[in-house]
Amino acid sequence: MIQHLLHISHVSKHFGGNVAVSDVSFSVDEKQIFGLIGPNGAGKTTLFNCITGFFPATYGDVIFDNKKINSLRPDEVCHLGMVRTWQRVKPLGSLTVLENVMVGAFSITNSIREAEAIAQENLQSVGLTEYANKSAGSLPIGLKKKLELARVLATHPKMLLLDEICGGLNHTETGSILDIIRSVRQKGATIVFIEHDMKAVTSICDRIVVLNSGEKLAEGTPEEITNNPDVIAAYLGGGHNA
Amino acid sequence: MKQFALIVTLAAMAAALPLLIGESPYFTGIMISVLMMAALSSAWNLLGGYAGQYSFGHAAYFGAGAYTTMILITLFNLNPILCMAAGIVVACIIALITGSIVFRLRGHYFALASIAVAEIVRLSVLNFEFTGGAQGILLSDVSLWGLDLNSKNPFYYGMLLVLVVTLAITAHLRKSKTGFYLQAIREDQDAASSLGINLSFYKNKALLISAAVTSVLGSLYGVYIRFIDTSAVLDLRLSIEIILTAIIGGVGTLWGPVVGALLLVPLAEMLRSNFLGDALVKAGLVSETSGLGIFLKENLAHAHVLVYGIITVLCILYLPKGILGLFRRVK
Ligand SMILES: Nc1ncnc2c1ncn2[C@@H]1O[C@H](COP(=O)(O)OP(=O)(O)O)[C@@H](O)[C@H]1O
Ligand SMILES: [Mg+2]
Repeated sequence: MIQHLLHISHVSKHFGGNVAVSDVSFSVDEKQIFGLIGPNGAGKTTLFNCITGFFPATYGDVIFDNKKINSLRPDEVCHLGMVRTWQRVKPLGSLTVLENVMVGAFSITNSIREAEAIAQENLQSVGLTEYANKSAGSLPIGLKKKLELARVLATHPKMLLLDEICGGLNHTETGSILDIIRSVRQKGATIVFIEHDMKAVTSICDRIVVLNSGEKLAEGTPEEITNNPDVIAAYLGGGHNA
Repeated sequence: MKQFALIVTLAAMAAALPLLIGESPYFTGIMISVLMMAALSSAWNLLGGYAGQYSFGHAAYFGAGAYTTMILITLFNLNPILCMAAGIVVACIIALITGSIVFRLRGHYFALASIAVAEIVRLSVLNFEFTGGAQGILLSDVSLWGLDLNSKNPFYYGMLLVLVVTLAITAHLRKSKTGFYLQAIREDQDAASSLGINLSFYKNKALLISAAVTSVLGSLYGVYIRFIDTSAVLDLRLSIEIILTAIIGGVGTLWGPVVGALLLVPLAEMLRSNFLGDALVKAGLVSETSGLGIFLKENLAHAHVLVYGIITVLCILYLPKGILGLFRRVK
């Protein structure tokens, strides 16, 4: 039996009069790589914020692992097994790379030794081992994105929400992040993936939702999405270089 | 472990100091002030330095310890451990109320709100009857709990003990999950929260430990000085001196507050006692009766706050990591 790990039901988010997300529903199944795309300002990051508890949805429900999580705090959501990365990276700047990842690991252990072992393992899986003792603030952007990834992986999540984890990266860097994402899914995690780069999205996602001006414009397989005339119009009309 | 060994070694040396120099009330008095400020600043550092929550209201916890102790002694002649324990309870209650209000706020708002809470405490104490109001509380007994209060050594060792305990707590915490979490909160609260850190739980944990230690120091101080009023133990100036000591020594480091106190307290004492003016006169550079000599004598004593300010500005400009920052390897 396939069950939905995450179910978004009629979620809206209003900022005063500004409707950033409007009546969006979709479901993500276990072990899927699920794409969330749309032009700038479409409401993708806002939706992530609602899902992970950074602010409550104005209307609608968020169901994760059969629990309604609308009113939980981000740390509670994390302990349920859902964790997100940041479009604008948030390294813990004065800590080392290793210590950053240990902070993630402490959500599943109280022991320093274990946290360090978990952190080393995840640094290795994203290829940051040689930077372990560098200060996190000093890394270039490509490596900061990898650090974001290692840090959330260290919480051993069921579901990762990745907000433009490839944003601002070059071709090879993007490729290496996509490889990491595939191997993470291989190990059993589910991934929701916000991305601008259409090629990256269609190459890796099982299913895609397109947001436009806060509303859900389309949903389907990569093939369906790339052939959808509304999506093409929205992306070209929005002046986006998709 | 290395740090614990260092703490024990330095503490043993500090403990031997009074035996080496013999009975010198003046010197012992300054050393008590150094130890107290080092401990106060270390306690503040747990919350301000590690968790990045700059409290400008720590005088409230110091005052809570001092007032609770003095009131209980004058009214009931209660035993010292009970007085301190009661002081801790009062300080922790104030801390919990403060935490529930101010930890919703971030950055400058937190700093401002912490001042507001401390001022409310100060003004309340000033206006209550049982706190002695503007008159304060005087302890007329010179012997208490079997101690001769005229001897300063018991207070020297008391302050030293609290400092050692605070440093040990700090050394332990920063190598623990809690220490990592506090630093994560300092660096980025949203990132911390998304990684599973319950922000208000850990901020309150740091605040409670910090407030409890600060309160014990207040209890000791009250009995040591035998007179307290709001300007001595609840003033904003005290909160600020605590912060400056940490900033100048090195915020968020184990030894920064100790270095800061070793530097600032004797400096303030020199200025207060017109050490500089006297030295200039002795050296024959300034005549005691000249205009400059009189000016120095009259004004330098009040200049220590100004000097603190200047040192702090220089530190922020040139030593953002404090004096200890100079000796740290750059990663
Ligand atoms: N905290 C906020 N307060 C007010 N408006 C916001 C806030 N966050 C996002 N918005 C608005 O919501 C809309 C969607 O933004 P966002 O979710 O960041 O889009 P995307 O991630 O798809 O580029 C934008 O119009 C933005 O201005
Ligand atoms: Mg966004």
